[in-house]
Amino acid sequence: MIAVAVDEDVETIRGAADGITYPVLIDADHVVTELYAISNVPTVLMIDEGDNIVQPNWSAYASDTFKELTGIDSETQKDHIRAWVKDGTLRMSPDEAKGAVADLSAEEEQARLFFRIATRLRNDGDADGAERNFVTAIDLAPHDWTVQRAAQPLRGIDPFGEAFMELYTAFNEAGRPYHGVTGH
Amino acid sequence: MTTNDIVMLDDGPLIDADALESALGWTLKPEGLCKDDTCVIVPDRSALMSGDRIDVTAVAELLDRPAAHDAESGLVAIGAPRELRRSAVNDMKAPDFTLPDLDGLPMNFSDHRSKKRLLVAFSSW
Repeated sequence: MIAVAVDEDVETIRGAADGITYPVLIDADHVVTELYAISNVPTVLMIDEGDNIVQPNWSAYASDTFKELTGIDSETQKDHIRAWVKDGTLRMSPDEAKGAVADLSAEEEQARLFFRIATRLRNDGDADGAERNFVTAIDLAPHDWTVQRAAQPLRGIDPFGEAFMELYTAFNEAGRPYHGVTGH
Repeated sequence: MTTNDIVMLDDGPLIDADALESALGWTLKPEGLCKDDTCVIVPDRSALMSGDRIDVTAVAELLDRPAAHDAESGLVAIGAPRELRRSAVNDMKAPDFTLPDLDGLPMNFSDHRSKKRLLVAFSSW
């Protein structure tokens, strides 16, 4: 298992990773969300010994904290993962897996780059420049959680407050666009 | 793929011709855009140039890499070659990447090759 934090808050992640023995990597520049067309967290992939993605981007959970919102049973998902580890059984056929993740649109690509520029300006102490570029990124990909929600703590917005329900409502109204597959 | 494959330039999008190699790893030669023994034909050289300077965002697009430019700060961000993501979403081949761990030490995804891997993207937000 390799965990990638789509985050730049190393201290918070360090706290969450206390006692964990598998690698925890920090992706402040959102390299992996660009490379794998990831638009929300948690997103889980199963990758076999030959570098083949046998379970593409999957909205899978470690606990039932969000079960009320998602309707997803985390234990069933973990059973799928255990079965694959144990005997290679997969929940999707190769045909189903192929094409299950839509490529990023040009706007979603651009949003990731403007997010990266905003983060850089923020780290350089240019708060106005950071905000300008975060807003550009969000306008380009308003329903991409790795853009809009990831930007919230960096813009001084509580990601668990009102902003969450606003984004969640807009996301639902847009038909819950997700680059990948959902469900047990 | 390494994190070096994403690029951030301070003062773009026009750069000196001799700065192109350190920025993108390619150089503009009479035969085209070249890297090692490979050259890509440049259909319209004037579209890449402004005077004797090179528009790095136009070069990026020619190399099938996305680019974004914030005019006010001059920052230019260039993304990974799109073929890497296509390898994931179309060909189901996992692209490699390099990221720092919690101690700041770089780790390659490929360090764990020949094993079954569960790649989990998560966050604090």
